Amino acid sequence: MELTVTGTNAITSPFLHAWDWRVALYLFLGGMAAGLAVMSSILRLKNAGKSAEGESASFWGPLWVPIILSFGMLFIFWDLDRKLNVYWLYLTFKPFSPMSWGSWGLLLFFPVCALNALVTMPGEYRHWLRFDVLRTLVDRLQPHKRLLAILNFVFGIFVGLYTGVLLSAFVARPFWHSALLPLLCLVSALTAGAAFMAIIAKRKAVKLFFTKVNVSIVIAELIVMVLFSIGLATSQGGAVMPSFSFILEYLLYGMAIALVAKLLLVTDERSDALPDRAVLLMQVSAAMVLAGGLMFRISLVYAGQLSHLV
Amino acid sequence: MPKYAMVIDQRRCVACMACVVSCKKENEVPPEHFRTRVLEMVEGEFPKLRMELRSELCNHCDNPPCVANCPTGASYKREEDGLVLLKKYRCVGCKACLAACPYDARYINPDKGFADKCTFCEHRIKEGKEPACVATCIGKSRIFGDMDDAKSPVRVALQGAHAEVLLKHAGTQPRVYYIKKFSKPE
Amino acid sequence: MAIDLTRRKFLKISGAATVGATVALNLPDNFLLWAEEAGLVKATYVPTYCEICFWKCGAIAKVINGRVVKLEGNPAHPNSRGKLCARGSGGMGLLYDPDRIKTPLIREGKRGEGKYRKASWEEALAMVAEKMNKIKQKYGPQSMALFSHGCPTDHFLPLFSAYGSQNIGMPSFAQCRGPRDVGFELTFGENPGSPERVDMVNSKVVVLLGSHLGENMHNSQVQDFSEAVSRGAKFIVADPRFSIAAGKAHTWLPIRPGTDMALLLAWTNIIIKEGLYDKEYVHSHTNGFRELAASVREYTPEWAEQETDIPAAQIIETARLIGKNAPAVCIHPGRHTTWYGDDVQRTRAIAILTALLGSWGRPGGIFLATNATMPKLPAKPYPVIPTPPLNRGDFKFAGAEGVTQVIRTATLTGKPYPIKGWFVSGTNLMKALPNQQATLDAINKLDLLVVVDVMPYDTAMLADVILPECSYLERHDTLVVGKGKMMNVSIRQPVVPPLYESKPAWWIAKELAKRVGAGEYFPWNTYEDKMKSQCALWGVNYEELKNKGVVAFPDTAAPYFTATNPPEFKTESKKIELYSKELKEAGFDPLPRYVKHPQPAAGQFRLLYGRSPVHTFSRTTNNPELHELYPENEVWVNSKQAKALGLKNGDYAVLVNQDGVKSSKVRVKATERIREDSVYLVHGFGTTSKELKRAYRRGADDQGLVTRYAVDPICGSTGMRVNFVKLVKEA
Repeated sequence: MELTVTGTNAITSPFLHAWDWRVALYLFLGGMAAGLAVMSSILRLKNAGKSAEGESASFWGPLWVPIILSFGMLFIFWDLDRKLNVYWLYLTFKPFSPMSWGSWGLLLFFPVCALNALVTMPGEYRHWLRFDVLRTLVDRLQPHKRLLAILNFVFGIFVGLYTGVLLSAFVARPFWHSALLPLLCLVSALTAGAAFMAIIAKRKAVKLFFTKVNVSIVIAELIVMVLFSIGLATSQGGAVMPSFSFILEYLLYGMAIALVAKLLLVTDERSDALPDRAVLLMQVSAAMVLAGGLMFRISLVYAGQLSHLV
Repeated sequence: MPKYAMVIDQRRCVACMACVVSCKKENEVPPEHFRTRVLEMVEGEFPKLRMELRSELCNHCDNPPCVANCPTGASYKREEDGLVLLKKYRCVGCKACLAACPYDARYINPDKGFADKCTFCEHRIKEGKEPACVATCIGKSRIFGDMDDAKSPVRVALQGAHAEVLLKHAGTQPRVYYIKKFSKPE
Repeated sequence: MAIDLTRRKFLKISGAATVGATVALNLPDNFLLWAEEAGLVKATYVPTYCEICFWKCGAIAKVINGRVVKLEGNPAHPNSRGKLCARGSGGMGLLYDPDRIKTPLIREGKRGEGKYRKASWEEALAMVAEKMNKIKQKYGPQSMALFSHGCPTDHFLPLFSAYGSQNIGMPSFAQCRGPRDVGFELTFGENPGSPERVDMVNSKVVVLLGSHLGENMHNSQVQDFSEAVSRGAKFIVADPRFSIAAGKAHTWLPIRPGTDMALLLAWTNIIIKEGLYDKEYVHSHTNGFRELAASVREYTPEWAEQETDIPAAQIIETARLIGKNAPAVCIHPGRHTTWYGDDVQRTRAIAILTALLGSWGRPGGIFLATNATMPKLPAKPYPVIPTPPLNRGDFKFAGAEGVTQVIRTATLTGKPYPIKGWFVSGTNLMKALPNQQATLDAINKLDLLVVVDVMPYDTAMLADVILPECSYLERHDTLVVGKGKMMNVSIRQPVVPPLYESKPAWWIAKELAKRVGAGEYFPWNTYEDKMKSQCALWGVNYEELKNKGVVAFPDTAAPYFTATNPPEFKTESKKIELYSKELKEAGFDPLPRYVKHPQPAAGQFRLLYGRSPVHTFSRTTNNPELHELYPENEVWVNSKQAKALGLKNGDYAVLVNQDGVKSSKVRVKATERIREDSVYLVHGFGTTSKELKRAYRRGADDQGLVTRYAVDPICGSTGMRVNFVKLVKEA
């Protein structure tokens, strides 16, 4: 068919480009913060907190959450074309708008993860708290440490899902319009969180733990991704399947798993005695998972905009 | 309470673009931006060809995904007449509505950053006039009126005609109807 | 409802208050937006008529704070009926084009170098007048020629008559509708008018020969076209290109270019042979039927198939469709009819077929013009000039608008007498006349080239003196006496005061007249004074006209032949002349005869050209409102041919014509919508004027490729579809 269109807008024609790398980065960082919140809470809650003992990541993990989240939110704010009106997000609640859920969710998640970071702060860093108010607050919250960790976990799952719900709500973009997308985004967020924990963990046992967790979630993600792709291939979304980037992610994830495959057999008791080479492998493997996660978000944002309901 | 709708009689359209320019000037649409467009589609092989001319605009859906996806309530469906409108002062320019619209009806105002789109010339309707594109439509291909009024031009136009909406399966329940073919056989 | 409104207002106000209170920084911008939404700004509306093309549609300008924000059709005006096309709606793009000529300019460098200095009106007018006076002294007034189109003509024609020259050339004749008017005048004694009096809305069958209505955006006529389509009229469209009109057609005949005459004659033959013509009408109102019947006998459908590339069966079928629906059949006379050099004869064939069907003066055919006229203001008679004008050349049937290229030839050769000065207004000669090199050479022989225009088009940039005319939205012009179904008078009046130092044409003409000793022929102070006296003479209330834009005289309509409105033909024989004695006496074929025209050689395409609905000639390519819709033209080429040439949609190519003239680069539109032997360009692109910043060298200039032209020996018009081009891929 020969088609001539007069009167198109560059932002929607020949395909949508409302969102660019800033949104992709926001989704990636938001997802990573959420995953990190979940993983750091797991570390804190596991074995009644025993696993966290002597592990600096049990503080640095929670602390990175609000920091990464801030960067993520910075990118989404940067993307807004009418920033001065941003307060309207908080003068309204729109139950059918994922973005409304997201802005409120992030608004609640932020203090939760920040407080969580504060209460997990070890004594040696207490002098960072400049104000008495903060110190008092931290003291008051100490008894609720566990509750905060649980809240942190719950919000982590919520935000992780949200990064996918945001996109899956668009009937107009068949590539995104899949009920599997929130799940896919959640597992992607969790892998990023686990990988991040694996990287920052000091103790080899903790590193190994998160590497193993990561491998299981990466496998889960690969399965969901296959299911998602089947959904795409059998719907209009298939028209723009970013096969190249998906294959590359498979490759990255596959290699990440392969790198640490031998370590998966290692049991916990001996894990602190792992050689430095193993540590390096775990670091590289985790970095590859992060790279794959970033690529996934970028291809997700761009491919979705290429797709159009017909 | 009127229920405004538009009928586009494609048989009468000559793709002259009068609607495109008239809309731009009426609504002070910025350069290189448009609220309505015209598609020329030709199928077949020389000399057996078939042409379809179609103008597109905001469908003022009864189930508008742009409104559902708007996080600030800037995009809204006006209760009294069903127009999908925008409160510019509320818009944050998040572009969720652009992604949500299956008709690509929206754009971002390049100077002010808010989303914008066809209003069915709400300000003209208020004065009892037709939307600018309808008023100037050379082929009288664009027809505007109240679906609840049996004598309105839209109802008259739809009578006995086979009308379709765009992307019916999107579930948006559009209010722009297209008459593509002659109802009586040639 | 009232309560509801109050509540809404309250919500609006409180909404705005929230905005203000929450973020103080945000207030001014948001407040303006709110004010705009609330409709606090009021507009004024001024009626006028449009000059973006020649259709002269009644328009109403919406003005806010002294700025034209919108142009709408005047519902009372018959040419617009409340609607404006894209170009008319974008009219303020001309008014506010930053590239406009802002002051009088005097050439500094060589011709064509584009170096000008600003001058005062006093200096520029004095210079023009001095040179005009010199030419008059040295060569006689006839050595000044006027080229003109549209409204400026009404001001400069009197100037030239008073100055003493009758050498006028309007491209609207020899490069456009000349042959059609002549062909119809020879047959019916009058031409089909402008707007053409086609009664399509009542037609059962409409035949379009190359008329691409819809792309050819003639407002009211396209409205009628759509109406006719909607009412179920069957369109038979003969066009090498699948035009918009072809897309609406019952039958599209992708005819081989140059063979329209064969189709018309074959149709005529079939209609006569099968007795489908209106016998009573033919018997009472025509002469020469027997000669006609004999002359078309040889033009069989099978023969026509060979010529036209249209299957004989389809020719027969369409002929029957036409014949059986007579007289409600409209064979569109066409408008731009200067195609192959036998154009008068082709339009004669159209006129003859119209007569056979009894469609002239009948519903669904060609309706009749009103006979009403308006008296002329008493005026001082113009001086009698001893030297006869040369602007009709040797063409016996050339119209009063003159034959442009004859003046050009005289300028080049100095024969029969020298032409030393050109005064150009409202036409871009470089883009209107065939063979640009000849135009350039002629210009280079001139002592004086004055261009009066709004925009610095190609021709203006060759002038010695450029005078900035203000746009149609800033000036008064002649009252237009329209003669469609009924008579009407419409007014053009300034919507906003002139921008920069631009001046209306009437003022320029009057001021020049003073300086060439013809001031007494402009005996009024302002043009409005003249219009007021005209209105007084015509019994039109000037104030009413000013407020409404148009005044109609419904009782002047007599569109069809009736018992009280009997047929009357202004030919010599007082009948429709199927057989033209007049032509015979002048040494031409009294009946149309088929002449074979050369077809492109292998590897060549015939260059066809036409219109975009969003542009007028070369006049609007720089208009920001229209430029963004169609910034550059494309060369249409059949997709099979494109593939063979290795060209894809969107590639750039260059056209090279048979004389080696190259176009600027142009995008390829590889399409099924055109025959394999032709390429098509929208006319008017590829300007060479650097001052047109948006349009400069965008797209290809079809006129530059029209180096050859076939002159119609009957009326002097230039057939321009006789050029062949090759397509070369641009690296």
